[in-house]
Amino acid sequence: MQTNNQMPGMKAHTASLLLSNRAQRQQRLMTVLGKSFLLAVTSLSMLAVLFIFIFIARDAWPFFRHESLREFFTSVRWYPSANEPEFGALAILYGSAMVTLGAGAVAVPLGIAAAVCISDVMPFSLRQTLKPVMEMLAAIPSVAYGFFALVVLAPLLQQKGGQLLAAAAWIIGLPVAALTTIVMSDVLSERICEKYRTAARWTVAIVAGGGTLTGLAIIANALNALRIVSGTNALNVSIILGIMAIPTIVSVSEDALQAVGRELREGSYALGATRAETILKVVLPAAGSGIMAAVMLGVMRAVGETMVVWMASGNAAQIPRPWYNFMEPVRTLTATIAGDMGEADHVTGSGRYHVLFAMAFCLLVFSFGINLMSERLISRARKRNAA
Amino acid sequence: MQLKTRKILDRSFSWTGAIAIFLMTAALVILLAPMLARGWGAFHFAATIEHRRMILEQFGRGNRAEIEAERNASRLARAPLYRMIAEFEKQLEDGEEQERKKHAASLRNLKKALRGLLGPEPGAPKPILMRDRYGQTRWDRALVKLQNALHAEEWDYSNPDRGGVKILKKRAAEFAGTSLEPLFAYLEQNTKKMLLPRRTFYWRFLTDVSLDAHFFGGILAEILGTLYLAAGAMLFALPMGVMAAIYLTEYARESRLTGFLRTCINTLAGVPSIVFGLFGLAFFINTLKVSSSKSVLAGALTLALMILPTLIRASEEAIRSVPKTYKEAALSLGAGRGRVIASVILPAALPGILTGTVISMGRAAGETAPIIFTAAVSVGKPLALWQVFSQPTPALSWNIYNLATEHEAADEIRHVQYGLVLTLVALVLILNLAAIIMRARISRRLKG
Amino acid sequence: MKKTRKITATLTMAIMIAGGTAVAKDAHKIVIDGSTTVGPIAKAFAEYYMAKHPEVNITVSESGSGNGAKGIINEACDIGAMSRPMKSSEIEAAKGAGVLPVEHIVAMDGIAVVVHNSNPVADLSVAQIKDIYTGKIANWKELGGPDLPIVAISRDTNSGTYETFESLVMKREKIAGKTEYVGSNGAIRQRVLSTPGAIGYVGLAFREGVKPVKVNGMEATPETVVAKTYPIARPLYMYTAGRPRPETPLSEFIDLANTPDGKKIIEDTGFVPLK
Repeated sequence: MQTNNQMPGMKAHTASLLLSNRAQRQQRLMTVLGKSFLLAVTSLSMLAVLFIFIFIARDAWPFFRHESLREFFTSVRWYPSANEPEFGALAILYGSAMVTLGAGAVAVPLGIAAAVCISDVMPFSLRQTLKPVMEMLAAIPSVAYGFFALVVLAPLLQQKGGQLLAAAAWIIGLPVAALTTIVMSDVLSERICEKYRTAARWTVAIVAGGGTLTGLAIIANALNALRIVSGTNALNVSIILGIMAIPTIVSVSEDALQAVGRELREGSYALGATRAETILKVVLPAAGSGIMAAVMLGVMRAVGETMVVWMASGNAAQIPRPWYNFMEPVRTLTATIAGDMGEADHVTGSGRYHVLFAMAFCLLVFSFGINLMSERLISRARKRNAA
Repeated sequence: MQLKTRKILDRSFSWTGAIAIFLMTAALVILLAPMLARGWGAFHFAATIEHRRMILEQFGRGNRAEIEAERNASRLARAPLYRMIAEFEKQLEDGEEQERKKHAASLRNLKKALRGLLGPEPGAPKPILMRDRYGQTRWDRALVKLQNALHAEEWDYSNPDRGGVKILKKRAAEFAGTSLEPLFAYLEQNTKKMLLPRRTFYWRFLTDVSLDAHFFGGILAEILGTLYLAAGAMLFALPMGVMAAIYLTEYARESRLTGFLRTCINTLAGVPSIVFGLFGLAFFINTLKVSSSKSVLAGALTLALMILPTLIRASEEAIRSVPKTYKEAALSLGAGRGRVIASVILPAALPGILTGTVISMGRAAGETAPIIFTAAVSVGKPLALWQVFSQPTPALSWNIYNLATEHEAADEIRHVQYGLVLTLVALVLILNLAAIIMRARISRRLKG
Repeated sequence: MKKTRKITATLTMAIMIAGGTAVAKDAHKIVIDGSTTVGPIAKAFAEYYMAKHPEVNITVSESGSGNGAKGIINEACDIGAMSRPMKSSEIEAAKGAGVLPVEHIVAMDGIAVVVHNSNPVADLSVAQIKDIYTGKIANWKELGGPDLPIVAISRDTNSGTYETFESLVMKREKIAGKTEYVGSNGAIRQRVLSTPGAIGYVGLAFREGVKPVKVNGMEATPETVVAKTYPIARPLYMYTAGRPRPETPLSEFIDLANTPDGKKIIEDTGFVPLK
């Protein structure tokens, strides 16, 4: 690292050409000052993080000290405004977890499949045209997503939800059923001796095909009969949050896939593996930690999103019954903060105000943890690929 | 496994990816289609004479003589309507008590429905609320109101096992046999003459202020507010972001401190937006007191913190992508480090930095949660530049939420909501498009 | 009628000219925060006032009564619009912060209980409404309606309407967890409009298009609210920090509720003006 711009050989020349000692010192000082100024500016972001933690923790602390932590994490009774307020946030935590899982169920398979397709299957030119699509998905403001969820999707789910779900089940289920049938007939008939193999294969195919089809029909019928009472529910929010998380997942996991070297792929092809086998058995495991990081970052977006859940989740502080029922309204941490902040006031320092900060603190700690983990994963992946 | 099966599996694997991409694109189209199509309806629609009158009276635009002539024509077309009602009222007055009672309620409802369609009756005192001063300004809304005037909505609850069924009962039937009966046929045939719809391109939607809480007018205050917030956030975040990026790329050695700084920046990027909002309220307004209440300044500061990590990362990447040879050449010419950065590296990295700037500006413009507690109000005037330090403002993102959920007549002003959504989405997408184009140029230049 | 309006107009003009030069610089903005129920009144007042005094910028945010109180306490707003009176804790806090909140009642309002138009149920008692919200009654069948699960919708807990509803209807019992919460009157109306099984409660001004049920046999109308026969009624408030200095825009704005024009506005927005 060079701290001033003088050539080293200059000392040999006459003193008159040299900068005076004072000027030299001044210059050095300027450089140091400049550097520390830049460091100070950079540290501002550190300071911001620190301040965010301090300010949120400061207002969350009274809650953790005075109120029962056990109640917060184990009770589902959320009555912040009652005379004897109850701050059971379990249902709200559960709601956050539920829509996040739902969003993950939508975004993770789609995102990873899309990333694989973009990085390994598609020609380069198509890849370039697809990038803007993802960027647009990522750029659309969350309130516009929320507006869509509330004004378009919720009424649609309420009126045609059952049919839509049934149609989706058929569309997803049919190819899956066909594939399972083919694979099962192949695998199960493998050990049978040559003579009967074709017959066995057909029997298995017919049985398995029939079985999966019937199962599918039963599921689709059940879905079709489903009456969605309220369109603002966990399902609605999950779909929208999933769409919002896709761009992050795709771009980060695409990076991870690209980072896996060509040599690995070529080696696998040389051994006679198909593209699918290469990707599933060689590329994906090698890119595993990067993809995990992508999933985490995508999920983070769903956890921290406010407007969509506030507008379209129904905001009911309950654990749906049964617990996996996505047709029920739920309430999330972010929406609770946005919706309840109005009543909570920092002047009287009521428990209600502090509980919201406690929730914000939970969110903060959670996102911090996820961030650290994904960072670790990405750097580990980088090191391994470099090695 | 047989080769054939493996091939099928391989093929279907490729298809899964293709389908996922198709679904993604479809999601984008499905999302954007209603916003674009219905949002466009806020700008381009069949406007009635009432719209032209409102524009003339409130904004002083339009050809006065022409509109006056049109108004006379529409008045002429409406006159028989009001004459029929007046005559009928007179008949009731002179008639029996029983008749009067029988028709009083239906007449009142009819007059209310007509007011909803055509505005106040001629000769009536001028209503105080602007929303009551004009008839329907849009032909599509007018058709809805026309149905209201022609039909009374009733619900049939006779089947207790199911919910009620809506029945549209002709109002004409209520007045069967009276002198008012022909009114309905007349109204139905002459609505066009009464309202004179004409396709209008109302681009001034962008530059008009809203009137009477968005019943009429445009969205200037919201657009200005969003621009102020985004530009203000940029003003704070850009210098900080670029300086931090310079430090991280040019000065910092890989040390524990740098690692920690990076972790902090990543953490900042992951903080949920609502937490930024809480922090902005607790820090900028309650602690630093940058303004006595919500203000554009407080909102811009909060947003600046939120987009800072994006900016740092983008600038860092831009600086790193400047070829090393540039720097080495400048250093070998004897330029100081500061000089190299200012006159060689930054200009070369500028397009990349601009790309990041534009993208984060789009993000700042679109965010809602951080400004709920710090800057946004639902009704307010467009602000002048010096007012941003002390006054809150309406903003596109917040007003979409506000008008879609809190407004007392949310479904009457759907077109305004869609117009707001379209404007915001267009603004953000245009910014992103600009970034995409800039990036394409840079990569072409770096290649060539 | 016309004459009185002219007179008030000239009067306000005169007041403005007299006081306009003397007002402090902050007098050119009025920040209103608080109840979404009072929102329509505040917005219409603001529109009306700004049309007369273009130099004053009035901003209105509708974020819940609690926010209104909070804004008054920490002087973040000039007027706190509230659909419930200030609680003693809030008044204490205000005094602690050196602020004396002054109450101005602007209008009366009833809380209408609304259901979807297709719902045949037309009359509920307060006890039945309570049972619906505690979850004891879960299907409209139990109330003589169709076989349809009840979707109970409530205002968020930061709203004055919620607190009024809680104290007048729920008494000491608690609203069931499965109840959906939304942020505003308008949102409740929309959810009820689009959901056949829904029930919600809104300010009188928001009952257009949905079906208000009779409560204890009384219809929710301005008349029954005035006559105090409708069981769920409350006054609407605007709070200021200290009594506003006379002849400032703030005091004029607050006084609008007592002018004939102001009363007409209140009536036209669907509320009940004070006598």
